[in-house]
Amino acid sequence: MPSKQQLPAIDRPTVALGLEGSANKLGVGIIRHFARRKAGPRPPAEILANIRHTYITPPGEGFLPRDTAKHHRTFVVKLVKDALKTSGLTPDDIDCVCFTQGPGMGAPLQSVAIAARTISMMWDKPLVGVNHCVGHIEMGREITGANNPVVLYVSGGNTQVIAYSHQRYRIFGETLDMAVGNCLDRFARTLQISNDPSPGYNIELLAKKGKHYVELPYTVKGMDVSMSGILAYIDGVANDISSGNPRYAEDGEIITKEDLCFSLQETIFAMLVEITERAMAHVGSQQVLIVGGVGCNQRLQDMMAIMARDRAGAVYATDERFCIDNGIMIAHAGLLAYETGFRTSLDDSVCTQRFRTDEVLIAWRDD
Amino acid sequence: MSPDLPKLPSAISNALELTLISQGAEAQIYFSHEHPFIPSPLPAGTITSTISSPSAGYILKYRPPKPYRHSALDAQLTKHRTLSEARILYKLFLAGIRVPSFIAVDPRQGLIWMENIDGPSLKKWIWMLEAEIEGQHGEGDDDEAMTRQESIKPLLLSVGSEIAKLHFLDIVHGDLTTSNILLRESSRTGAESGADSPKRIVPEPVIIDFGLAQQSTLPEDKAVDLYVLERAFISTHPVHSEAYVKWVLEGYVAGFGRGKKIAVFKVKEIMRKLDAVRLRGRKRSMVG
Repeated sequence: MPSKQQLPAIDRPTVALGLEGSANKLGVGIIRHFARRKAGPRPPAEILANIRHTYITPPGEGFLPRDTAKHHRTFVVKLVKDALKTSGLTPDDIDCVCFTQGPGMGAPLQSVAIAARTISMMWDKPLVGVNHCVGHIEMGREITGANNPVVLYVSGGNTQVIAYSHQRYRIFGETLDMAVGNCLDRFARTLQISNDPSPGYNIELLAKKGKHYVELPYTVKGMDVSMSGILAYIDGVANDISSGNPRYAEDGEIITKEDLCFSLQETIFAMLVEITERAMAHVGSQQVLIVGGVGCNQRLQDMMAIMARDRAGAVYATDERFCIDNGIMIAHAGLLAYETGFRTSLDDSVCTQRFRTDEVLIAWRDD
Repeated sequence: MSPDLPKLPSAISNALELTLISQGAEAQIYFSHEHPFIPSPLPAGTITSTISSPSAGYILKYRPPKPYRHSALDAQLTKHRTLSEARILYKLFLAGIRVPSFIAVDPRQGLIWMENIDGPSLKKWIWMLEAEIEGQHGEGDDDEAMTRQESIKPLLLSVGSEIAKLHFLDIVHGDLTTSNILLRESSRTGAESGADSPKRIVPEPVIIDFGLAQQSTLPEDKAVDLYVLERAFISTHPVHSEAYVKWVLEGYVAGFGRGKKIAVFKVKEIMRKLDAVRLRGRKRSMVG
């Protein structure tokens, strides 16, 4: 489907290799943009390869920076080779090497940045450093065709409500403490749930079996949310239950861990939908785009869809290939910047754990 | 463009003629000519001490159920927020602060009745005056600044002092903007302005929408409240915002606690925090 989104013209197709490793997923992607004119419909980008390898820890454990970095170092060469093979391209076909410059965990970011620098020098291709959040947003827009949506970016490390204005993705609301995915992951650890394929997905499965709603703290402050109090509270309840102090629902039944997963999702997703709705009312937008790993959650998508319907709007979401961290989104956002002339010199290719979404000049949009 | 708006409980919409005048993210605002339970026309002198102008009509603020969230959570939030807003509104009204006077609340249904404030918002009023002043004077006219000072300054001083009264009671508004301050004709104007006085009648500011208000003793929260208003001035009245903010803060400092010793100490602390909040830039920019 040709997209209506306007982009600066390019006179020949471009291809980018993208490397992502800001958390426990290592992703390598190859994308192609076709030649396009300034106005009129343009062909969608072509995804030539999208390969991911996830570092999975045993139940009850999170991923530590050092071990995660080691995982990325071990697999990055294999993944790049696989990506090239899948795409059927040779290094000569590639225009630029894009990598995640931040935000994320320091050690994993660094190991992937080293890989990117090495490839760039070996193949003599320019480097393009990409903001991870902008990668998510641009990929979501490309896949769904959402033109100018309010973006809810929810993952293990980030929780932000974002809207575009004057060549920046501006943050309207965000978490005041931990990210929503982090809250879910840590609760999964409390319950000793498997981290395979992801703790959040296993919570979602358990939540589907939950029936009783347990009242939890609800913390929305203006357009911001806070998660830490909720986690501390529900951890307490879970520990009570596992140490033989059952809690009872109003109908006399014992509260199960499925009920807790259900209640946790209901509460924190309601908070997210509320701040998203507030941002939509503020900027007068009818579209909402959900990106980030937590964005795969069906219940969150459903709740958002109900809210959007009542505002005569629409919700856009992608599936796990593009929601969860991947190399293709870094390649896509990097290629957009590359086409406007942006390059990252070797000296400036240092990565940073703190890299705010609104620091990036969105030179490829002029609406 | 017209979604299925959540409907008011039919018992109310059948009994009274209500017009939807605003639809926010959380609440709908309805206007009614009739008082919700006192028959109109009002018997003379019945509730004149609480309703400043019965002819201005009444406002119903309705928080409809949000179908996306669990019904138990929804009921809890609606009840809690409606009740909290009503409490704050009533507390401020009793303390003599200019807010719409509170009439009734139904926390479970998410309904608050209050009086209507018949007048323009501060935003519109400033826009009107600015256009008027620009029409009278040429570009870069010296008189222009003079006229602006004469006409806008007294009002902004009283806006500042009204916010100070609010903060002195340890209530922070949470969403201070120039559209959340309405202006109504001053009740004192008749006596004060002489027959041939050239001075403009200064309306009195009324602060509305306490949906995000909360109790707080922290200077930080009050400073953020002022900072949010400052940002609102900068984004909606960019050209002269500096002077406007200065006048509001002047009125704020003068009005805070009316010279009580403890108040002087407190207001200094708030101003210091405001500088810190400004420097911090409050992490995000609220450009719509």
